[in-house]
Amino acid sequence: MPRLIRFRDGVAAWAEDAFTAVDDDQPMPQGDVIISLARFQREGRDLLAQGRNLGVRLASDEEPEDLVVDLQRLSVLALTFPKFRDGRAYSAARVARERLAFRGELRAVGDVLLEMAVPLVRCGFDAAQPADLTTPEQWTHAARRFRHVYQRAADGREPAFAERLGG
Amino acid sequence: MKALTANRLTDGEVVFWTGSGWSERFVDAALFDDNTAAELAEAHAKSQITLLVDPYLIDIAEVDGGVAPVSYRERLRALGPTNKLDHGKQAGGGADIAVLAHAHGAARSKGRVDLIRRK
Amino acid sequence: MYRYDDIDRETLADRAAEFRDQCARRLAGEMTEDQFKPLRLMNGLYLQLHAYMLRVAVPYGALNADQMRKLAHVARTYDRGYGHFTTRTNLQLHWIKLRDAPDILDELASVGLHAIQTSGNCIRNLTADPHAGATADEVDDPRIWAEVIRQWSTFHPEFTFLPRKFKIAVTASPKDRAAIRVYDIGLRLHRDDEGALSFEVLVGGGLGRLPHLGPVIRERLPVRHLLSYMQAILRVYNRHGRRDNIHKARIKVLVAALGPAEFARQVEEEWSLTDKAAVDLPGTELARIRAGFAPTGFETLPPVSAAFESAKASDKAFSRFARRNVMFHKTPGYALVNVSLKAIGETPGDCSADQMDVVADLAERYSMNEVRVTYEQNLLLPHVKLDDVPAVHAALVGAGLATANITLISDIIACPGLDYCALANARAIPIAQDIARRFSDPVLAENIGELKIKISGCINACGHHHVGHIGILGVDKKGEEFYQLTLGGSAEDDAAIGQVLGPAVSAERVAPAIDRLVEVYMRERRDGERFLDTFRRAGLPMFKEAVYAEAH
Repeated sequence: MPRLIRFRDGVAAWAEDAFTAVDDDQPMPQGDVIISLARFQREGRDLLAQGRNLGVRLASDEEPEDLVVDLQRLSVLALTFPKFRDGRAYSAARVARERLAFRGELRAVGDVLLEMAVPLVRCGFDAAQPADLTTPEQWTHAARRFRHVYQRAADGREPAFAERLGG
Repeated sequence: MKALTANRLTDGEVVFWTGSGWSERFVDAALFDDNTAAELAEAHAKSQITLLVDPYLIDIAEVDGGVAPVSYRERLRALGPTNKLDHGKQAGGGADIAVLAHAHGAARSKGRVDLIRRK
Repeated sequence: MYRYDDIDRETLADRAAEFRDQCARRLAGEMTEDQFKPLRLMNGLYLQLHAYMLRVAVPYGALNADQMRKLAHVARTYDRGYGHFTTRTNLQLHWIKLRDAPDILDELASVGLHAIQTSGNCIRNLTADPHAGATADEVDDPRIWAEVIRQWSTFHPEFTFLPRKFKIAVTASPKDRAAIRVYDIGLRLHRDDEGALSFEVLVGGGLGRLPHLGPVIRERLPVRHLLSYMQAILRVYNRHGRRDNIHKARIKVLVAALGPAEFARQVEEEWSLTDKAAVDLPGTELARIRAGFAPTGFETLPPVSAAFESAKASDKAFSRFARRNVMFHKTPGYALVNVSLKAIGETPGDCSADQMDVVADLAERYSMNEVRVTYEQNLLLPHVKLDDVPAVHAALVGAGLATANITLISDIIACPGLDYCALANARAIPIAQDIARRFSDPVLAENIGELKIKISGCINACGHHHVGHIGILGVDKKGEEFYQLTLGGSAEDDAAIGQVLGPAVSAERVAPAIDRLVEVYMRERRDGERFLDTFRRAGLPMFKEAVYAEAH
């Protein structure tokens, strides 16, 4: 079971994962679950009606726009990195955060490595299940590595051009 | 016939397995007639991740004066770039380098297919 | 020229520190090569045939004297006293040790240089017209916009892991000296009658396995929206570019598959949803960057220089140099001086540390502290007083840098090829050397006129062979080096992908084949025709017949 790291105010820490990740062919357990988009489209309404907290896991070729109506009812949006070099989820994350105003947990799953800390946090992820043996201390350090950024993204950091105006 | 080669992690230098260690010169390379032994050596090399990058086996053939890698690319690795003969392993000279350099000339002219004439 | 401020400098320092940490973890065995390789590549560090190769970025090809001296110092201290300037206007050092790489990045950062995004599937170092700021035909200084993009694309969090690498070129002139039609994004600035600036946006050009000329997807983009529009293009590509096949992952394949109109529609749709104000630079920042490129220190000079004219009249070699390598500057009394890295028999694009120091000194003394790198693998001193050209020429002669062959047959582009590159199938450098020696007579070369030969050692086309007037592609046939010739390509305003002449030929047949091609051209040409013009008018068969005639 991959462990969960959560970012709060730039600090990473191990977190209790209240959600069970459920595959499409698994029976539905009790409690809060994260399911695929396909399963959500079939069973999501019933599960929400049962009062459960729900998460949806998008494959890298699925898009948060497909969820647009239901997105605000989700507690977790899990975006999959089939390989760490597959960067589609960064765009999906920014769209979810900045365009669709998703305020729930945005979780990186799959081939998630420490070296992704900066782009993950900048694109709006606040949770990750590292596939390597790294620690929250390393993630905190890695995410803070750069004193400046050049673009506005989903993390609210002030870009260089705004810093220069202030200075 | 095969030999085992890699690049050294710290500096990228081309190295060859000697049977007991790694040498910068092709002439020191252990030659494997037996594929199983060669693959065992390769597997061992792949575990030396703080020493090597990308170890692999190369084909070796007999040439005038000794043996040389079959492929032109591997002969270049064992010698150095042809535009700067004072760089790379060839810079030191020696009989073993001469064998490789000669092999390179011989193998290039051997079996050359002149497509202009073949048309 | 734009000077990095504290933010830029601290970013480079942070990057160097990050890489030092990553190297230490790799050397300690805390990371495997598979994990480390993408990280070192993002810092321009490749493992090539003989050693590591470090690709240092030269953003939009612009260097100052201190930066050039630092490159010389790094080449001397950590390499073997030379470097190789590439078609991407970067500098490649061929003999780097991994254990030295963190120190090298620190050295580079101290003068505002780096190797950021010179490899990997990210937005690469970008290129611009090397004549920027000096040519009369530009409507604006394209370096301003190149610097805007440089900053925006540096560590862009969304576009760090694109389907494939991504290259951007910018020009502001009707004459294309930046090869914008063979770039993932090519940008050309226009100025309308009211003085408003806009970009013509080309997307989906590229060379390699599937050469394409980029179609225009937007005729006029107001310049203030450059970055939001770029984000829209990159986002469409990041989400929809192919990731299942590395050979079909470039944006050119997506644009060709969708068709330029549909691709443009998707970009416009994405752009219409974009909060442009959050992405586009505020006017104050644009003005700050623009000020960094403002011309300063030009004197009011007569358009004709007595010293220049008398040197031309008295010195044949200088006169040839003036004809071939010296170009008009927009400011009267000044000139652009091309520094050829194509001395006959030398490696195209190679420059020794001592030569770098000479060029740095000349830049400082005579060219307002500026040097440019061109994609044709030469250097350029952009702001030299005509009065000073004879002195500059003399210094270049002393350093072996005064070959008067710009755009001529010996001004050959060649990638490092199999002599260095782990991807190559065949050598490129010796082919270039053979051809240059064959046409070493400067009178003959000038008589032949403009003829652009471009050589790549493999289909990845770093040597731009597809767009050479004569292109030469190295291929491997059963372990032997063979070369396929293409004719009629161009990377400029008349951009075209060359046509294959016929079956590949062996290495020693390449230079004789070039001889035959030139003979046909000299025989057939009409007034004022370049090789390319004659080829386009007369067609392939005549040239093919000449090269393959011995077969009959």
